[in-house]
Amino acid sequence: MNVQQRVLAANDEAAAELRRGFRADRMLVVNLISSPGSGKTSLLEATVRALTGRVRMAALDGDIATERDADRLRAAGIPAHQILTGGACHLDARQVRTALEQAGMGKPDILFIENVGNLICPTSYDLGEDFKVAVLSVTEGEDKPFKYPAIFSRSEVTVITKSDLLPHVPFKLDEARAQVAALNPTGRLFVTSATSGEGIREWCDLLMERLEGKRRA
Amino acid sequence: MHELGVATEIHRACRRTMESHGPGRIEEVRVAVGELSAVEPELLQFAWQAVTAGTPDEGSRLEVEWRPARQTCLKCGEVAERGAGSWLRLCPRCESPLRVEGGDELDILHLSFTPDDVQEPAP
Repeated sequence: MNVQQRVLAANDEAAAELRRGFRADRMLVVNLISSPGSGKTSLLEATVRALTGRVRMAALDGDIATERDADRLRAAGIPAHQILTGGACHLDARQVRTALEQAGMGKPDILFIENVGNLICPTSYDLGEDFKVAVLSVTEGEDKPFKYPAIFSRSEVTVITKSDLLPHVPFKLDEARAQVAALNPTGRLFVTSATSGEGIREWCDLLMERLEGKRRA
Repeated sequence: MHELGVATEIHRACRRTMESHGPGRIEEVRVAVGELSAVEPELLQFAWQAVTAGTPDEGSRLEVEWRPARQTCLKCGEVAERGAGSWLRLCPRCESPLRVEGGDELDILHLSFTPDDVQEPAP
């Protein structure tokens, strides 16, 4: 018999349900995707420092093992819940739904979902987010966007991290910008450092803009 | 091993589809896999064997229809050239950004199964 069904239909349905809930709660949801070690948690720590007192934030952290990322964000001062995937290379919408039910984090203004460190698999799974953020550190090499085009073309925002290390690494910032622009002509790109604070204000301004947009919608 | 999760979803969806037809076993499933879906056909077929092993569907076939993406340049039209092991770059002829269409398919197209009370696969 002919079937004609998307393989990830079950995930897409769960994601659509999450998105309806997030819209009703006027909650901005951001899905961060990157290689392991590119600085997603550090970016979020810097974001929490910059926005504490202005908005309520919370985080879901996906990892194969350990609670380290959630511990760091709790230490930074926001509710955080670790999702242990036990070997799976990405988060799916059902895990996010279950985590939100278990975590009891209330209704933050901004929910960060820190995906499992991986530039391939998380790309295919809609989590009900408002937008995806591709995070790329200057220690990884400027050719990452062309090597992993799916994530950079599907992320509305690219955040380059660890810019304080630029004098010490051969990373060609202009080339990275050009590759992201070629893949994603309408995307936004921020150059940041959680250490020096460069670009954090601009990134936070974008979050606030998007949150306001969601509240008006 | 992303493909394992995808194979599990395919198996689950096929089993759901078969529910209304009573008990039976899967003979063949045909799926469309796009070039940009981040799924490798060979790994998916390997995962299918693992997922169906020990179930009534052990030994069934997973056929993959590969769906390439199309690159189009606003100035040069369709661009067939690919970077080595890559896609989606600037146009190799005029360096304008390329538009990419399709290639994100990950769909179940067709399912053949044999109900337990008959000998031939259902169409």
